[in-house]
Amino acid sequence: MLTDIQQFDPLFALLKWVAVVVVCAGIAAAVAVVISLSEGGMTGPAKIWSAIRRAIGDLFGMSLRRVGAIAGLTMKESIRRQDVLVGVVFVLLFMFAGWFLSGSDVDTPAKPYISFVLMAIRWLTIPVALLLACWGLPADIKARSLHTVVTKPVRRTEVVLGRMLGYSAIITMGVALMGAVGYVWIVRHVPPDAQSQLTSRVPVYGTLSFITRTGEPAQHGSNVGDMWTFRSFIEGNTRARAVYHFEDLDVGHIRSDDGVQLEYRFELFRSFKGNIEQEVQAQLALVNEDAGLRVPYPPVPFEVREFADIQTRSSREGGRTPIVNIPRKLTYTPEGERESRSVDLFDDLMKDGKLTIEVRCVDAAQYLGAARTDLFIRSPDRPFSSGYVKAIAGTWMMALLVVVLGTTASTFVKGPVATLLTFSLVLTGLSLRPFMSKLLGEYNQGKVIGGGVLESAYRIVTQMNVQSPLPEGAATSVIKWVDSRVFEGLLLLQNVIPDFTHFDMTPFVANGFDVPWSNSMMPAIATTVAFVLPCLILGYFCLQWRELEAK
Amino acid sequence: MDNESVIQIRNLTKVYRDFWGRKKVQALNSLSLEVKKGEVFGLLGPNGSGKTTTLKLLLGLLFPTEGEITVMGKPAHDVEKNEQIGYLPEESYLYRFLNADETLDFYGRLFNMSAKVRKERKDALIELVGLDKARRRQLKEYSKGMTRRIGLAQALINDPDLVLLDEPTSGLDPLGTRDMKDMILKLRDEGKTVVMCSHLLADVQDVCDRIAILYSGELKVIGSVSELLQEQDETQILTSRLSDDVIREVKEVLARHKAEVVKVDHPKTTLEDLFLRTVHESKTRPGRRFVPGERPGEDTSEEDGAKTPPATAAKVEEAAS
Repeated sequence: MLTDIQQFDPLFALLKWVAVVVVCAGIAAAVAVVISLSEGGMTGPAKIWSAIRRAIGDLFGMSLRRVGAIAGLTMKESIRRQDVLVGVVFVLLFMFAGWFLSGSDVDTPAKPYISFVLMAIRWLTIPVALLLACWGLPADIKARSLHTVVTKPVRRTEVVLGRMLGYSAIITMGVALMGAVGYVWIVRHVPPDAQSQLTSRVPVYGTLSFITRTGEPAQHGSNVGDMWTFRSFIEGNTRARAVYHFEDLDVGHIRSDDGVQLEYRFELFRSFKGNIEQEVQAQLALVNEDAGLRVPYPPVPFEVREFADIQTRSSREGGRTPIVNIPRKLTYTPEGERESRSVDLFDDLMKDGKLTIEVRCVDAAQYLGAARTDLFIRSPDRPFSSGYVKAIAGTWMMALLVVVLGTTASTFVKGPVATLLTFSLVLTGLSLRPFMSKLLGEYNQGKVIGGGVLESAYRIVTQMNVQSPLPEGAATSVIKWVDSRVFEGLLLLQNVIPDFTHFDMTPFVANGFDVPWSNSMMPAIATTVAFVLPCLILGYFCLQWRELEAK
Repeated sequence: MDNESVIQIRNLTKVYRDFWGRKKVQALNSLSLEVKKGEVFGLLGPNGSGKTTTLKLLLGLLFPTEGEITVMGKPAHDVEKNEQIGYLPEESYLYRFLNADETLDFYGRLFNMSAKVRKERKDALIELVGLDKARRRQLKEYSKGMTRRIGLAQALINDPDLVLLDEPTSGLDPLGTRDMKDMILKLRDEGKTVVMCSHLLADVQDVCDRIAILYSGELKVIGSVSELLQEQDETQILTSRLSDDVIREVKEVLARHKAEVVKVDHPKTTLEDLFLRTVHESKTRPGRRFVPGERPGEDTSEEDGAKTPPATAAKVEEAAS
């Protein structure tokens, strides 16, 4: 049963993580060997090996008591330095936010409240995490209090891990407190008529295929000239269908009032104006091909509007995307027959956990747009707190990752530089990474227009069209070779920069959905966990090889 | 390693470099020395001579440019050696937001001590350094002397075999200085090794068995204090107070042996001793004021009997025979 659009593959993620770590470690080792050879001659590599052995010993020889002591010290430091006063800002924000938020969205009045709370918690937590993690160790080194610590039998791994854990504990307390206050604030401030929107819908998605106007199966429908390929269109009053296949359905999970609830949101493309007063009609049919059953439901076609934004629906349909409640016992009249039949939804139509739903457009020459997420089975709703807590957990994990990165950065640079470095990583991970993914995707498919860095520069200098091939020759080979290496470096960089977009779960919660595990929670957890060990090792080496007393 | 040797330094050189790797300062130049178990060893030298650098190299806070360091039989970078080391830095670099109790508890946990042991050590050390009344105050409220005391306590939390003290008496009042010196001697009596660096020569002279004098990163002098300070060509005889006649006779005897009397006078006590006696008197007999010429510790009241005559020292330069 698919509850997520994209499935998270833990094995693939693990293998990818191992590959990236091995490549990074290999590069680091090669650089270290070269430096050691130039500094210490032939004894250099032996020293590197000795350092690696010592690192392994320090990693596995960590004492929980010492780590706990440093974590506890870090927490006390933060509390006594009154870093947690950021809570005052939070309280102030919430005291006055209600003035600006009420009635700002006619259709989904709860959305701005939820979005505001989650955004406020996030953007108050991130700077605190950033400043705590980036300034703690450098301040400790500057004040030389760390010197007294490292002259005890304390391993550098313990210092780094203890700091990370201490800041994480502070962040955890802060996020939990702000999350709890935010929840109460949402529940109290969302208008009474919008309280029903405080829920967590759990969609079960199927896969989508199409049947063309001539009745042939196809992966895509008609192209109506829309550049956005997210939706595909089916032509009305033909044999064209959008077919949703649901598999591995668990009746116990999706059963709703002894039936199944569907939710849909289709788009419309009119090829001619037609009767503008009358909406274009579409119809759903529940299909069991093996049993030869095709049950239209609801029996009467429903209306679909172009530009059917939620606001226009709200006036007629109670501010909700249309819902179809399919009862277990269905009565219908098969085509070409006069007598009606009764079928059981679970026993007759849903065989072996499979259900097929076809969508067709009734009106001739009008087009219905369907995407995979436009129709889903709606499992019984979960409480609002379910999605909200997961969204808060997303913010929490993001802050933890910031702590991990910030602490690591602070082991080799001073506070301001560490802050700038970590913040750059956060911004890159939030905004540039999708661009990098797109660029590298195009590179993998050979679709990069104008080539890489050198090729682009060459084309700019020579004013060459991006479509024209480069002249044959050694220079072109060199340009292409260098560009390939740059792209490979970019590929590695893309995997080294954390994808902070995984942590934003606000759209799910604000739109009344539960936060899916596979599509959202698992990538967030994996991203956070993936950086802990490499950062700990990097931080260890940076601190180990750093002369704390260097003048 | 020699069984008796706690610290071995061989050809130790330390060059500080700038960001680009260019030589900035040569702090130590081919230093070799050894510290034996159970001795109080003093590192002396003017500012910038390399004393503190040597200590920090011993602790692994700095890395040697060349040479080898062995501490307690282990390389300086080995953290396990720190199990047996106590270190008092020049300034007490402690966490100012903690109080004395929390400070010692924190450092005790770094030695993996159980809660029970930590509490015992903590209580004993706080009493030892005289901070019982201030144990709940944050260190940021401490005076410099109090900070040094808690610094010493944290250095002793693990009952170390080797104690490294960087300017241990710096910032202490004479009473604190005396306590610190007594503590160092007590540590020696317990069989522990103490290495201290200081430029307060009187303090070093009072407590050190052996010293090394560094200048510009080079070892200039090393040896036992008594041997190094002994004036081999002079003899000093300390007696109870002599009358002028007796002194004249002694001079005649010395003249017969062709020895020249350099100086005959009464030995002076130290200012530290005078200060300590004054404080002691003030504590035991509050309200008493000393008249000009009267010295604390000398009871001049008739009922206490005759005062003890001060000693006379005669410094005689032996004639070369």
